[in-house]
Amino acid sequence: MTVLRWLLGRLAAAALVAWVVATVVFFALRAAGGDPSEAILGGPGSQASEEAMARVRAEYALDEPLVVQYLLQLARTVTFQLGDSYARRRPVAELVGDQLGGTLALAALGLLLAWLLALAVATAAVRARGRVARRAVGLLRAGEVVASVTPHFWLGAVLIAVVAGGAGWLPATSSDNSLRSLLLPAVTLAVPVAGFLGQVMRDGLEEAHTAPFATTARTRGASEGWVLWRHSLRHAALPAIALSGWAFGSLLSGAVVAETLFGRPGLGRLLVDATHSRDVPLVIGVVLVIALGYVAVMTVADVLERVVDPRLRVRVEAVRTAPAGEVVA
Amino acid sequence: MVTRLFDLPTRRGRTAAGAAALTLALAACSGGGDDTASGEGEPVDGGTLVYATGDAEPTCLDPHVGGNYPQALISTQYLEPLVGRDADGEIQPWLATDWTVRDDGLTWDLTLAEGITFTDGTPLDAEAVKVNIEHLQDPDTASSTGWLAVQKIAEVEPVDETHVRLHLSEPDSALLESLSMQWTAMQSPAGIARGMEENCAAPIGTGPFVVAGWVPQQHVILERNEDYATPGPQTENDGPAHLERIEWRFLPDPATRWAALQSGEVHVIDNPEPEAIVAAEAGGEITHIDAPRPGSVNRIELNSAQAPFDDVRVRQAFVHSADVDPGIETLYQGVATRSHSPLSSVEPMAYSDPTLFTTDLEEAERLLDEAGWSQVDDEGYRVRDGERLTVRLPVSTNQSVAAEQALFEQIQANTRRVGFEVVLTPLDLSAWYGALAAPEDGGKNDYEAVSAPYTKVGPDVLRILYHSDSTVPAPSGYFANLSQVTDPELDALLDEAARSTDPERRAELYTEVQKRVLEGYYILPLYDQQNHFLARGVTDVRTLGTVSTPTFVDARLTS
Repeated sequence: MTVLRWLLGRLAAAALVAWVVATVVFFALRAAGGDPSEAILGGPGSQASEEAMARVRAEYALDEPLVVQYLLQLARTVTFQLGDSYARRRPVAELVGDQLGGTLALAALGLLLAWLLALAVATAAVRARGRVARRAVGLLRAGEVVASVTPHFWLGAVLIAVVAGGAGWLPATSSDNSLRSLLLPAVTLAVPVAGFLGQVMRDGLEEAHTAPFATTARTRGASEGWVLWRHSLRHAALPAIALSGWAFGSLLSGAVVAETLFGRPGLGRLLVDATHSRDVPLVIGVVLVIALGYVAVMTVADVLERVVDPRLRVRVEAVRTAPAGEVVA
Repeated sequence: MVTRLFDLPTRRGRTAAGAAALTLALAACSGGGDDTASGEGEPVDGGTLVYATGDAEPTCLDPHVGGNYPQALISTQYLEPLVGRDADGEIQPWLATDWTVRDDGLTWDLTLAEGITFTDGTPLDAEAVKVNIEHLQDPDTASSTGWLAVQKIAEVEPVDETHVRLHLSEPDSALLESLSMQWTAMQSPAGIARGMEENCAAPIGTGPFVVAGWVPQQHVILERNEDYATPGPQTENDGPAHLERIEWRFLPDPATRWAALQSGEVHVIDNPEPEAIVAAEAGGEITHIDAPRPGSVNRIELNSAQAPFDDVRVRQAFVHSADVDPGIETLYQGVATRSHSPLSSVEPMAYSDPTLFTTDLEEAERLLDEAGWSQVDDEGYRVRDGERLTVRLPVSTNQSVAAEQALFEQIQANTRRVGFEVVLTPLDLSAWYGALAAPEDGGKNDYEAVSAPYTKVGPDVLRILYHSDSTVPAPSGYFANLSQVTDPELDALLDEAARSTDPERRAELYTEVQKRVLEGYYILPLYDQQNHFLARGVTDVRTLGTVSTPTFVDARLTS
């Protein structure tokens, strides 16, 4: 019952997302000016003939009042009839489908790298002993802050100029989904997210490390490593998992920059091109897929949190399965 | 493995130490590396040339549809026009070997080269020319540039296989120039008959390459036309191209294109930044091809239809205070030359008058006083009847490079010295067109000055830009006469020039036209429309004398 209700809630959220996307995109593109019939006839300033413009306006219902156009668009969006792109004259679903894989691969590798970087930094920080190591941790903290505010376009440009153009170690352009091709754009995306996740994880680890259950475990003879991996990391991972939904959203928006910089095909570039040409159906299609993807990732993050933290499950079950030490906290 | 990486020969300077840590992480994955040898190698036959363009990716590879520069750029590789134009601007035979025009200027006879076929085997005959021109004129094709070019052709009459007669509605002295452009290039009638969707994906022409595949946002694959037999006027090779294949990539970021060229991932890039051109010019293995576009120059148009630029004295004051020379020199680092003409330096009929564009602040102030802008407000801007001397200059961020935008900022600072307030508004392309559009078409004419590119072969571009007919917006709301010149005498000169078939008379008329445009201070010419290419590991890349697009018929990769 609760699972069903939860699922229905998620579906309602998805429908709400579709409605908001269709509405915001439609009116934002109209407010930005420009004529969609130009997009259909080969771009702004195309100087198409009067006859051609009239035909196009009739064909795409652009001569109808704005409200009617909006309702038509809304009806199509909530029923997932994405229609044809104005500028590319191909089905939106097909265009989005073509580019989806590349962006997902990039965002997934970006998230993975961000997690690995953040984990490495956070565990190194709590395990640091001695004065020199403590100093190094101080530097790492500053590094996290710097990383989390590093703009994607700057980092990407530096990587391209130094690693690709200057040294020639990795390609400046990134055309496929091979690791070699994905690495530079994924690092570009991962660093700011890692900076943020790292701060959250380190705080969680430090807190858990001094918590009573950790002390209890130590008194029972558990090694530092055991405490870290078996107990503390779970605590540190929770807020990081919750943030991963947000992080994935940030990676998708960062993908717009990374894909343009590295000349990668993908949803981000598709969105930029479509926005420039006022290609309403394509913009709605891309934004809808990104927004629904975000909802999906948030859902997965919710589930993961329940897997990692038994307290979030039904109480009785939690008492039965959770390790004794953790119920105290 | 890691230490070895640091021993690899690096081409341009050593990496910053800061990158070292990152390098460790990357080392494991950088297996392949690039194996392009550095230094001047021997030209070889075959191979794949990688071209990286910064121009937008076309939504359709058939330049009849729409008709913009990115389409001209790529279609040069697979479509060819009826006539060409050499480096001196002279029209030369290509698919058409000969042409005559009757005295009334209304009937043109073209002779086609014999035995030419498109790459699908369809013959290039008079019937094919008819199909092409009708395709351009068909509203369903949604042609814009090509449609304008063949607008005056009323009927195409195939006389026999190799002779075609064009009947015009009025004389058009620019006809051959129009037919030399990629936007009117010839395509296989069978290809066109497949319908727009298929023809957009892979148009069929007579060019040295054939469209073999298109992965949107990534690349177009062009393969050698083994039966190529129609070299244009500017190439040496009279058989198939040396290259086996071209991979035409879309790389929007200029720094990435430059890095890709440096690291050997690509052989040719377009739209480089001035810094990259300067670095290439400094020597080494990168060659620079400077190929200014024909037609108009890059210029600032002053909107003469509304205050304050409806007064010639105010326009003149703006021009005398703009002081653009130092800006062009520093920002473009010597890769752009100042223009004092409405036409590109590659147009044989271009007329230039530097004396009109001197910097003279005292004269500018005197002119503004005379025009009634004699008061100055608290912030130092001139006012008249409580109204500030404001110039709104919308900037299209899609069409304007960083250096040009910086130049506009310098003009803003320079003209401020005599009391102009220049308001620069960066806009994306669509919003920019919206700002220019006329009020009756939902726009607001929200500009007093604007820089708008326009490419067309030949001086007839002056008619499109300065004839009063062009102040009437197209259905889209756009009009080409952005300085909004409405001068009956200018119209008369332009009309006569368009009808005149006598080259000398035509040259006289266009000189007169340009004088009137310059002396009326309707425009502030800046420099030729920039068209630069950088190449590495490839020789004999040439650009056509029409719209300065590169052709790879003669090109060879170097080992």
